[in-house]
Amino acid sequence: MENIQATLNRGQAVQSAKPIKMKSQDVTVHYGSKQALNGITLDIPERQVTALIGPSGCGKSTYLRCLNRMNDTIDSASVGGKITLDGEDIYDPAIDVVELRARVGMVFQKPNPFPKSIYENVAYGPKIHGLSRNKQELDEIVHTSLKKAGLYNEVKDRLDEPGTGLSGGQQQRLCIARAIAVSPEVILMDEPCSALDPIATATVEELIDELRENFTIVIVTHSMQQAARVSQITAMFHLGDLAEVGPTEKMFSNPDDKRTQDYITGRFG
Amino acid sequence: MSDTTANGLAETSARPERRDIGIKKRYAAERRFKAYGIIAIAIGLAFLVALLWSVFSKGYTAFWQTEIQVPITFSEEVLGTPEQANQSQTKLMMANYPQIAREGLAQLLDVDTSDRDAMRAVGALISDGVRIELRDMVLNDLSIIGTTQDVWLYASSELDSALKGQYDLAVPENRRPISDLQLQYIETLQEQGAIEQRFNTGLFTFGASSRAETAGVGVAIIGSLYMMLIVLALALPIGVAASIYLEEFAPKNKFTDLIEVNINNLAAVPSIVFGLLGLAVFINWFGLPRSAALVGGLVLTLMTLPTIIIATRAALRAVPPSIRWAALGVGASKTQTVFHHVLPLAAPGILTGTIIGLAQALGETAPLLLIGMVAFVADYPSTPMDPATALPVQIYMWANEAERAFVERTSGAIIILLAFLAIMNLTAIFLRRRFERRW
Repeated sequence: MENIQATLNRGQAVQSAKPIKMKSQDVTVHYGSKQALNGITLDIPERQVTALIGPSGCGKSTYLRCLNRMNDTIDSASVGGKITLDGEDIYDPAIDVVELRARVGMVFQKPNPFPKSIYENVAYGPKIHGLSRNKQELDEIVHTSLKKAGLYNEVKDRLDEPGTGLSGGQQQRLCIARAIAVSPEVILMDEPCSALDPIATATVEELIDELRENFTIVIVTHSMQQAARVSQITAMFHLGDLAEVGPTEKMFSNPDDKRTQDYITGRFG
Repeated sequence: MSDTTANGLAETSARPERRDIGIKKRYAAERRFKAYGIIAIAIGLAFLVALLWSVFSKGYTAFWQTEIQVPITFSEEVLGTPEQANQSQTKLMMANYPQIAREGLAQLLDVDTSDRDAMRAVGALISDGVRIELRDMVLNDLSIIGTTQDVWLYASSELDSALKGQYDLAVPENRRPISDLQLQYIETLQEQGAIEQRFNTGLFTFGASSRAETAGVGVAIIGSLYMMLIVLALALPIGVAASIYLEEFAPKNKFTDLIEVNINNLAAVPSIVFGLLGLAVFINWFGLPRSAALVGGLVLTLMTLPTIIIATRAALRAVPPSIRWAALGVGASKTQTVFHHVLPLAAPGILTGTIIGLAQALGETAPLLLIGMVAFVADYPSTPMDPATALPVQIYMWANEAERAFVERTSGAIIILLAFLAIMNLTAIFLRRRFERRW
């Protein structure tokens, strides 16, 4: 029953076109003299899961890192084109990149909790952004974030223990809790399940589906099944180009582009 | 896909004929290489053992010093009355204390005080340091004037060396520093139980002295301590700041490459060059005093900086980039990322590098010679601006002395220096073990 309900909900979500959260126009990225993205134009709808798929080296992770300007940390990378968040150009010199990253959070491929306590891991973001006025408020944020990440019941008795002592799946959910603790609008996930076993993967996927209610999510994945399970929109990247983008159901049942068809049927990749 | 797998299996099952690749030779080569390694380690260990053995076998006696218990008569005749002493201490300061000691010892040995040759032999058994030892006793407590006290006095270095068996007594009397008469006296004293080998605290507390029995590394230890503090206070913050900037903030371009190459080269510059630099810049140009621990500390800071920078950069680089991404990902600024996450994680490595750098600076001699720290300093420096020496320089100076007693003190001072170095290195290892993090 639940599955049917979920599928129905998903169908409705796609049909009732959501407003656009992030807009990319002709985004190019160069690493030195090598061009990694050749002009990507892509709209990311609000409160939907957008999956980026494509073979290795196709530029989907590069594109993801453009969305919160993580590419700034790579010296040789230069980004062209225009990306807007709620209509604001995020590469505008007037934009504070720290502020941007608080609005566009990120979860990485390998779980990377800080080597600090579970509590400190989640509390760090709210602390540096001044989201709490006192200890109670901070506790509240930490507990809510851990609950939203579905981790609270597992760790509520050992918040003082190091986050690095958790299992892989728990660590990744801790990283998600850390990301949502600063109340971002968009969460970027770079292959969040690639280092996890199938059970942990299933837990994280369920979590992503729940988070969709409150957050706009962009997820890079190598797993077709995962894209099909969690996303409403799928974008297929190939060799630095955006091959095709559309509702996930259509992409997996009746893709327009030959490359998409070849990729999802396992002809290459 | 499945086709190729099947083909691969078919090929392996056919087992192509293998040419002889010399498996026996390969094993022999492996055994040979292992043997080379073991031999290399054995040679290294042998040298280490030889070094330690030569230092310890020569040096352990330096920690024991012969003392003689002598009844000393603090007569009012020589020292004046306590009332006079209260008015003026001139007489107390100028009194002939060695004479008092000599007479006390003569009494103990039953020697006629009018026999000048015998008295000279008796006097040569006691250290000239009694002048200060006895004077300080009287100055501390005027009430002992007019009494007779049993006092443990430092024996002369000749007596000390003779007792430690450092002289060959088979050579003719006139060719050794201790006479038969004196040996006889020593025997008498031993029978009376008035002679004893005691732990040589003076080795740690005295400054430079031309008499071995009153020479110690006290001043050198204080001088070295001042310099280490200066190096720590200057090199650590400068080195860490430079490394953080270079590693985390600086753009990677030709200019920063040049800086990097130069820092690495600086670490390999002979230390005596730093001494020349210190002489030219700190003493001749800035006009800082010669022989001062401050100048020594500044020179050693210059020398230690590259070591600390290289160690710190390695420690920073060892922090996984995923930690930086995690911090940046939740919206921490670059500086917050570095100071909240990267630096604390790199701290054990930085500390280890700093201690190794300090240990290196502690053992450095050549640059200190050039800035005049090779001076004869008998008084404790009260500030880093006062003349001082350093431990390795003291060793260097003692090594130039011919007396047997200085030979053992040279080795004794080396043992002290090695002990300090060992403590520092152990601290480094301990800190690394204690704070090392695993990801």
